[in-house]
Amino acid sequence: MDAKRLETSRLFHRFGFGPRPGEYAQAIKDGVDATRTKLLTVPTSDAGAAKVVAPNITNLGPRPAPNTKEIVPFAIEMRFQVQQMTMWWLDRMALSDHGLTERMTWFWHGHWATSVQKLNYAMPMFNQNNTLRANCLGNFKTMSRAMINDGALQFWLDGQDSTLVAPNENLGRELMELFVLGVDRYSEDDVKAAARALTGYQVVRSSGAVTFNAKRHDSSAITILGTTQPFTGETLSDFLVARDDNATFIAERLWYRFISSTESMPTTFSAKGAFAGRDIAAAVNAMANDGAMRDEKNDLVKAPVEWFISACRALGLTPSQLKTPAQLLNYLDKLGQTPFNPPNVGGWPAAEAWLSSATAQYRIAFAAWLIKQSDLSALTAIPVGSRVLKSADWLGVPEWSARTQAALRDSLNDPAQFALLALCSPEYIVSA
Amino acid sequence: MDTVTRRKFLKLTSGAVAVGAAAPLLSIDQIAQAAIDRPLPANTPILVVITLYGGNDGLNTVIPFTDPIYYSSRPDISYKAADVLPLDAELALNPAMKGLKALWDQKKVAIIRGVGYPNSDHSHFSSMAKWQTASPAKHIATGWLGRWVDSQSEDPMLAISLGSVLPPMLAGAKRSGSALPLGGLVIPKGTLATECIQLSKVAKKDSKLMAAAATSMRNLFSISGNVQPVLKSPAPVAPDLPTTNGGNAGGDSNLAQQLDVVAKLISAGSPTKVWSVSLGGFDTHANEANAQAELLGVVSDSLSRFMGQLKATTRSNDVTIMVYSEFGRRVAGNGSQGTDHGTSGPMFVIGNSVKGGFYGEQPSLKNLFKGDLAVTTDFRDVYATVIEKVLKSPVGPTLGSWAGRVNCLN
Repeated sequence: MDAKRLETSRLFHRFGFGPRPGEYAQAIKDGVDATRTKLLTVPTSDAGAAKVVAPNITNLGPRPAPNTKEIVPFAIEMRFQVQQMTMWWLDRMALSDHGLTERMTWFWHGHWATSVQKLNYAMPMFNQNNTLRANCLGNFKTMSRAMINDGALQFWLDGQDSTLVAPNENLGRELMELFVLGVDRYSEDDVKAAARALTGYQVVRSSGAVTFNAKRHDSSAITILGTTQPFTGETLSDFLVARDDNATFIAERLWYRFISSTESMPTTFSAKGAFAGRDIAAAVNAMANDGAMRDEKNDLVKAPVEWFISACRALGLTPSQLKTPAQLLNYLDKLGQTPFNPPNVGGWPAAEAWLSSATAQYRIAFAAWLIKQSDLSALTAIPVGSRVLKSADWLGVPEWSARTQAALRDSLNDPAQFALLALCSPEYIVSA
Repeated sequence: MDTVTRRKFLKLTSGAVAVGAAAPLLSIDQIAQAAIDRPLPANTPILVVITLYGGNDGLNTVIPFTDPIYYSSRPDISYKAADVLPLDAELALNPAMKGLKALWDQKKVAIIRGVGYPNSDHSHFSSMAKWQTASPAKHIATGWLGRWVDSQSEDPMLAISLGSVLPPMLAGAKRSGSALPLGGLVIPKGTLATECIQLSKVAKKDSKLMAAAATSMRNLFSISGNVQPVLKSPAPVAPDLPTTNGGNAGGDSNLAQQLDVVAKLISAGSPTKVWSVSLGGFDTHANEANAQAELLGVVSDSLSRFMGQLKATTRSNDVTIMVYSEFGRRVAGNGSQGTDHGTSGPMFVIGNSVKGGFYGEQPSLKNLFKGDLAVTTDFRDVYATVIEKVLKSPVGPTLGSWAGRVNCLN
């Protein structure tokens, strides 16, 4: 496979949500170094993202009592706000001129995986999303502190129920296992101790406002990972983030989502060293420059949202304008991935989990639905004589296999079928 | 972690545990065709495994209702002695499990107490992986029933899991069980179908993932065109069945629906010896009482409905059901009307071949280990018993030289 085309394709599909028509061919002309620099340098303003109007997310207050006349409009508004928020984020992913910010926000959403299924209210989820975006390429120590003070995460993991008298282990365990250190890098006693350190938070569910109630907090000296001292949630966060295991763990998570979810991370992976100061941007830059990016064996299955957004960008579609948003959410749900709704605190799966026959079937139906709503101008602009090969540039695919070329060639007189086969081909489902 | 639905939890665990090859995905038509072409010989034993995802609270399932420590440990979430369904002088079922109690009274239920494994792991994902691989000490990539599948002659119908994602339990090294998504597949037709089949050819140069992507589409088309009457018929219904609206634990966690499909396919003669179904949502850190009772009600109602359905078939004596969860929960409540992750819990083995009663020692509420129950029975004892008595296979290929057994099956 052509090394330059491979690396350029990976840069577009992994550090953004795929190229718009024309961008990949241009990037091949510009060269890998220039493309990498461009895709990794977040501009000060983004006209595409600025066009996406922020949803009107409000504090809906406590839930009215059952069987009152207030409950129906309340429930409708609550659902509406969640849908508006979801469309807003999908639009930002599809319409941003520069993809890295939304891509990183998406990565961190899967990392600090919190679901609106438990919160119900949009507002705390919206606030969390903005916190993740503000910190997505910042310092992990700051991010982790911000997440300790995040109402959605606290509520999701029962933090508001965790008190001096009755610490709840949910948040403490996941903080160590899934957010900061990784499994088996602490003991069960450490989990119990962390739960005590995290006591005292209270959350207003409808807004996500977090307060700290010192009376509910265990302020005694606690032994965590060999250190005995009084801890607060924030000092616990700092303490865990400062451990070497945090750099290993975040490097592992970056490797798993950006490089390979099937190959294990080599100890030489440069993102780990670059994360020494907990600078996320430095780790991401190191990763994008790492030799692993050029290694053919590091292919990666696109998660359904990634596949969908890259298709929108290629087809010139705006998610919120699709008819209808409810139908769109249904397709995403069938494929098993809806923003703000991860399956559990471990986030979404990877690799073969997205490659069942059931998903193949839903993907075909989904692609056909999208294609019907696109004018396909980017595809039909390619002269028929060179369309089979040049359509790889359109989608940012390094190369079509002979198998896919044959299927595309048979469909040259049917652009809709051509587009469907291209979007459902193994070369597009998998980032080579 | 909360709202762990079956399908979604599986997606995660199967991502965490490497599955040898991409799991074959079956359509209900294919299974129906196989049931007609080569039905399972009469009197062949069948195992149905029910996984409860999230960590079911064993102490509020099989309740030590006369032990004062039970009440003092968890005042917010203990059941009153007057409400529970007594099984003997010390233990009772959760009030929601009337259907299971009726089966117990018919001596069709074995309750194995204090089941777990050494050095209990409190992570959902790690603990479920240990149960499903049957390798608590060392992480391995194959599931216990996957290794059994490996030891049998190749047949994609041999072990089937309901839902679109295969649980690690059925992943073998050479082969694995198959997955049957609920809800019919809509298959492309005409020239699109021809070209999709073209796209699904695995190329020599394909990476493993590309090949899996191609295969996933190919499997869509490898389905018999004949719609089988088996599928059109309703699930077998016995007149004395309790009616149930099935699971309330999330849209796709409908245990009753899964078991309906299993009953239908068993009755049709599907050449399947192992079925896997599941229910999620047992991670009750907060407001446990209602949530768990609702789920246990679903389990109990679905089981009695399923047993009733089988009664109307020729295979009612052949089916054995095994129910487990990745861990029990902490003895003491956590102050959020819930419980945190614990260790051992009860397992149920149900069927006409079961010697009803209690097995294994009930863990003491007095002698806890760091707030957790002792493990009195290793789950591999139960697995080994099931492999020998139900699957009529040697234990070696699946569990090596594991010696423990539970004498709960005829």
